[in-house]
Amino acid sequence: MPTLNMVLNGKEVSVDVEPGDLLVHVLRDKLGQIGTKLSCGEGECGACTVLVDGLAMTSCIYPALKAQGRRVTTIEGLSEGRALHPIQQAFVDATAPQCGYCIPGMVMSAKALLDHNPHPSEEEIKEGLSGNICRCTGYYQIVEAVKLAAERMAGEGGTQ
Amino acid sequence: MSTRVLGRNVPKKDAATKVRGSRRFPQDFDREGELHAKVVWSEFPHARVVKVDASKAEALPGVVKVLTAADVPVNKYGIIIDDQPVLVREGDKVRWLGDRIAIVVAESEAAAREARRLVEVQYDPLPVVSDPREAMKPEAPLVHDERGDSNVFRHIKVRKGDWEKGFAEADVVVESYYHTPYVEHVYMQPDAGIGYIDEEVRVTVISSAQWPDHDLRQIAPMLDLPQEQVREIVPAIGGAFGGREDMHIQHLLALCAYVLQRPVKMVFDRSEVMTRTGKRHPWYVKYRTGAKKDGTLTAVEIEIVADSGGHASTTVPVIEAGTSFSAGPYVVPNAKVDSYAVYTNNAVTMAMRGFGATQAAFIYEMQMSKLADALGMDPVELRMKNLFEDGSIALTGHAMPPGVGIKEALREAALAAGWKEENGHWVRPELGPPSAPHKRRGLAVACGLKNVGYSFGSDDKATVGVQLALDQSGQIERVTVLSGACDVGMGAQTVLAQMAAEALDVDYDQVRVSLVDTVKVPDSGSCSASRLVWISGNALVRACQEALQKRDQILIAESGETFVEAEHEFHGRSVHETHPYDPETGMTVPHFAYGYAAQIALVEVDTETGETEILKFWAAQDVGKAVNPGMVKGQSAGGVHMGVGYALTEEYIQQEGVPKTRYLADYYVPTVMDMPHEFTSITVEVPDPSGPYGAKGVGEMTTLPTAPVVISAIHDAVGVWIDEFPATAERVWWATRQQGQPRE
Repeated sequence: MPTLNMVLNGKEVSVDVEPGDLLVHVLRDKLGQIGTKLSCGEGECGACTVLVDGLAMTSCIYPALKAQGRRVTTIEGLSEGRALHPIQQAFVDATAPQCGYCIPGMVMSAKALLDHNPHPSEEEIKEGLSGNICRCTGYYQIVEAVKLAAERMAGEGGTQ
Repeated sequence: MSTRVLGRNVPKKDAATKVRGSRRFPQDFDREGELHAKVVWSEFPHARVVKVDASKAEALPGVVKVLTAADVPVNKYGIIIDDQPVLVREGDKVRWLGDRIAIVVAESEAAAREARRLVEVQYDPLPVVSDPREAMKPEAPLVHDERGDSNVFRHIKVRKGDWEKGFAEADVVVESYYHTPYVEHVYMQPDAGIGYIDEEVRVTVISSAQWPDHDLRQIAPMLDLPQEQVREIVPAIGGAFGGREDMHIQHLLALCAYVLQRPVKMVFDRSEVMTRTGKRHPWYVKYRTGAKKDGTLTAVEIEIVADSGGHASTTVPVIEAGTSFSAGPYVVPNAKVDSYAVYTNNAVTMAMRGFGATQAAFIYEMQMSKLADALGMDPVELRMKNLFEDGSIALTGHAMPPGVGIKEALREAALAAGWKEENGHWVRPELGPPSAPHKRRGLAVACGLKNVGYSFGSDDKATVGVQLALDQSGQIERVTVLSGACDVGMGAQTVLAQMAAEALDVDYDQVRVSLVDTVKVPDSGSCSASRLVWISGNALVRACQEALQKRDQILIAESGETFVEAEHEFHGRSVHETHPYDPETGMTVPHFAYGYAAQIALVEVDTETGETEILKFWAAQDVGKAVNPGMVKGQSAGGVHMGVGYALTEEYIQQEGVPKTRYLADYYVPTVMDMPHEFTSITVEVPDPSGPYGAKGVGEMTTLPTAPVVISAIHDAVGVWIDEFPATAERVWWATRQQGQPRE
């Protein structure tokens, strides 16, 4: 069984994987990262979005071994201790989560967007979230949350 | 009374753990020594099962057992009628592709997945009936031969006034045929869960659900156990929308745990959810509406055929509710309505956001849009002329109870969208030029109404408990609300906490709402029918009042007691008695409470591609009292989102009972890019005197007007009525080509 070595949320991890394993299963079943959600299993809905070397990836179609030597960030890597990341706090304040199953993926897509474009227009926010399906909210409060997060993070002098 | 919590956007109780990803959904639970299960699904929409041979599957290393019909103590269940086998036995029939033959249980998920392919099932295929109109004919193959000699299992008749005279008096008659499509719920969290035997030897299931106590009322007889020996725990639920009213997985997990006496986990993949779980009913409808020149409605004649698929599920109450709304929130003095529930070999159809009121809203609002067009009358004005007010006589002959807010909702939406009221007439705004020469703009309006709570004589009740922890002086330190109200995401637990804080005059943060576990919380009924705010709220407010009285008695007695609890069982019938349909006339009091919505859409249709873009949208909902305005806005936008998919893109396609729409990639749920570019949510508060703090329901109402408003706006833009929807680009393009050039 090959060994996958990667930097997960800032810490080096090594885990034995089957060659055909997908990143979502390794994260959830072997590394306990249950915040990464599996929904469609075909890269359509974005619920399983994680960052690989800073780029948003749908981990349900991402071969685990492709993450060899890379930096992987999951929703668990965003907040440390009690404090929420400003994006997470903005989602709470904008009443963005309903059922919440899509929300970790939405937050990770928002993180990838704001890391690359700290001052997005509304259209750019929508493009940044267009790979994530939500069945509850109609998206408006999620877009508002990302706007709010961008404003607050600009006030703090940049992204984290 | 202070209003420091009620009506404020306090953070949802579950928001922080959901944004962290730490809140556990059913697939996130594991137990020591757990096994993994996979279902062997039917391979035919209609066939006799000749032989089930599991020997090869059971020989595979890691396989513990293959459960078949012989392992089910009482092999039938169903949410209302127990017409479904848990596992189909040799010699019996499969009736749709969601019927199950066996469950493979193995030490690993991979082994279970491999072994299910090794279960050999021999079928004797039977003729398939896939069109409910064909299924109604006497020569059609019978789906449930054991339930009589017809596939029609419910016929509702409404006979009101003199409809022939009504049509004779009409100056204009609009006649149409409609076909409403299937809808898949697409809750984002696929069905999943774990079954095990708990420390008190109860068969226990952790799963998503909408009414855990009712699940147990089906699971206990299936296992031939007293209900005290079964238990359901409902953690975070990843959406439901009616799709989890029926059990998809709970009973299977209970069965596996009961037979094997070990923890068993099962997770459906998306394709299983798409092809093996229920859908919204397609309706085939003939509809005639008569009106005078001034727009006064004189009569309707409606025939509704609802495709129930292979089993009954909730089809009977869905068409009962849908029929009661088939003339809309409008006064119609004369009516003839016939509705039929019909078995076919298609996907089972069931509750989905609106419970029949959604299909009804499409047909009555399309009729109203066509009538306005035929009369040359403003569509707001036509509706205003006929809309319900308090005491209006509805289709089934009953007077609407106080709190009817549909006129206010329509007025607010119309004014926001630019309508003007001039000399007693409504005048619509200018639309502005389209964004390109080959595009056309259109504007339309639609209304909707829906009952709150269970109807037609059901004893709808909710029990809610409240516990107060007091300090030595009798001040409330902490509050725990005990309720079986499932929070599918809309915020039921937050609303209950806000109402408890209000009723007890404490801070929101002092209130905790207990998680749903059938052995720890009372039965509050289902999370459905837009009922939880209204009925659980009514029970909770009363429980709080009783707890305060007990607290005051303690203070007087100076007993030093620091714990008080109270529980209240609230019955909907205590407000208004409801009754079943009269079998001959259909006259009845169908519902005890209502909610209302009105919406306006401005669209742009591309005449070269047929594509529709929604530029602006105004969604007004009368919620009685917005307990949490942010959450109401979320319900409004979410309802519109589902309506946009219903109107334009979502199509679940079956051929002869076999789904062609098997994955999410085949079924287009609108993304953020597909939503109206500008969205205005307008909350109207016309109090329901029987609701807690005047509140009504909101969850379903917000999706009702969306499909007819978008499709009526397409007509306003390019002059075609899309009576069979979704109005995909192809359908609109073909329709415009068939009618010649789009109008200028």
